[in-house]
Amino acid sequence: MQSPPDVTLQHIQDMAYRIRRLSLEMITYGMWGHIGGSFSMAELLAVLYFHHLRLDPARPDWPDRDRLVLSKAHGSPALYAALALRGFYPVEDLYTYCELDGIEGHTDMRRTAGLESSGGPLGMGLSIAAGIALGLRFRENASARSFCILGDGECNEGNIWEAAMSAAHYHLDNLIAIVDYNKVMAKGFTWSEMSIEPFADKWRAFGWDALEIDGHDITAIMGALHEARWVRPRGKPLVIIAHTVKGRGVEIAEFNYKWHTQAPEPETADAMLRELSRRYGYPEEGYSRLAGRVEKETFYGGE
Amino acid sequence: MAGNNTSPTPPEMRDVFGQTLVELGREYPDMIVLDADLHTSSKAGYFKQAYPDRFIQVGIAEQNLFGIAAGLALMGFIPFPSTFAVFATRRALDQIAISIAYPQLNVKIPGSYVGLPTSRAGASHNCIEDIAVMRALPNMRVADPGDNADLRAIMHSAMDVDGPVYFRIARYTLPDMFGPNHRFEWGTGEIVRRGRDVTLFGTGLMTGKCLEAAALLEAQDVDAEVAHLASVKPIDRELILESASRTGCAVTAENATVMGGFGSAVAEVLGDRCPVPIRRIGVPDRWVNSGGVDDLFAYHRMTPNDIAQAALEAIAMKKAVSPRRTTTGNLQWLARD
Repeated sequence: MQSPPDVTLQHIQDMAYRIRRLSLEMITYGMWGHIGGSFSMAELLAVLYFHHLRLDPARPDWPDRDRLVLSKAHGSPALYAALALRGFYPVEDLYTYCELDGIEGHTDMRRTAGLESSGGPLGMGLSIAAGIALGLRFRENASARSFCILGDGECNEGNIWEAAMSAAHYHLDNLIAIVDYNKVMAKGFTWSEMSIEPFADKWRAFGWDALEIDGHDITAIMGALHEARWVRPRGKPLVIIAHTVKGRGVEIAEFNYKWHTQAPEPETADAMLRELSRRYGYPEEGYSRLAGRVEKETFYGGE
Repeated sequence: MAGNNTSPTPPEMRDVFGQTLVELGREYPDMIVLDADLHTSSKAGYFKQAYPDRFIQVGIAEQNLFGIAAGLALMGFIPFPSTFAVFATRRALDQIAISIAYPQLNVKIPGSYVGLPTSRAGASHNCIEDIAVMRALPNMRVADPGDNADLRAIMHSAMDVDGPVYFRIARYTLPDMFGPNHRFEWGTGEIVRRGRDVTLFGTGLMTGKCLEAAALLEAQDVDAEVAHLASVKPIDRELILESASRTGCAVTAENATVMGGFGSAVAEVLGDRCPVPIRRIGVPDRWVNSGGVDDLFAYHRMTPNDIAQAALEAIAMKKAVSPRRTTTGNLQWLARD
């Protein structure tokens, strides 16, 4: 297994902070993107990419690697940031987000190293991850696991439950779903748009094991992933329901569906980035490209 | 080349589909067939019997069928997610488009029960828009076989393509048109009957009806050319332009809606480079209803007689538009590119 260079808790915390910063920089510079859903899974991605996943950035097609399907592909900025920080491509590339021939707004696995699938429409990723898990089984690959990050809102989609039913039917205990349960959808709250509760019970009724954790608690995430990989494989797929806060890190975006899709003005981004520094205890740092840009004809704020 | 009908009763096309799956399974150990509770109808069940370990049943869940196929393709397998064409291209279009076609995954998609012959099941099961829908997806190849040998050849060439393929299987017994050594190439059509007055462009089971129409026209001293274009995408532009520029008018025939499908594909090529009069045979812009297969073809004006009638209309249009074309041909249109 290829371990990242430094797996201290502090390092993972640093990476979560940098994932948030870079997501915001990308969304601001690219003038489009989803801040809320990127911030809510910053710790999840930091633990996955800097502690848990079996990966080798020098060999993106390593057969024994873990695969991660981002089903909530609108959270792509956070994933792109994690992949860049992990060494799949230069951090500088992130500033091509949403540009022609740059990094795709959602996910295009043919254009960005480290992506395991393409996506955008919600509800589709768990089936892909189940197919990967079945494929690992066919290949008799006992080392690798298939991970899928789901949004809570996308669990409204029927396709998720088709996939859930089949994963239990085929005893895919090499499949680990992680729900970024941030309670907020595009235009309202999960409980009001379409309630998914009782959520853990639903998964259990579909034949899954379910764990519930604080999705911003790094040690809790590490523990859940350890359990998923080493303790729970006993004939059932496992879901980790990670309770998170949408937009976690910047007060105005927290628990606020108005910041589901929103590219801030450069000055707003600058203030948000400084808030992030103070909040997480790092030296205050604003928007890196405040002086550059933005000579585009249209500014796509809002949705 | 076209030949006379040799065997008295060829097998049903779906049987050849099932048999060819088994044949390919022997050759390709990474091939996996997936099913959504229809394998004894589609005949994908032949593969289940031969290779039970490489057969995956997903139940009645077509979106998951295609998502799992995408995941298996990512693991280097060659999945054949098999169901009726309606459930593939209507229910699971988003999964086919974004999970499979967009990342160009190596998934082979059989569409069973296409067009009119579905055994009286009615509009919900008559897949008429799949050609139009699937050919609109970037990276997707689309083929509609003219007979059993053609289907088998298409399935073999699908394995040579590193990317998604959609091919149609009619629930129908087609007369043999090609011999057992028939070969299929993507983007290559075949002139199955030479003629001078009009080109009948057929795909799928309609090419056989075009040949019958040509025989009817011959009795009226009309010399029709018949071209079979099983590869709807990519389509054989050169053949279309060469033939239409010689004959000066065209008829297209498909076992599908005339909206956006094969006839549209031919018309696009001709409209771009060689605008000649064209008539399209296929299901008009309406839902099919239940009925016997022959009745359905008659009701939707898709019989050899209807094709022959359309050919006469196209010839009349040609004469009305430009009398000189009938003698000088239309090659000047080709030269303009």
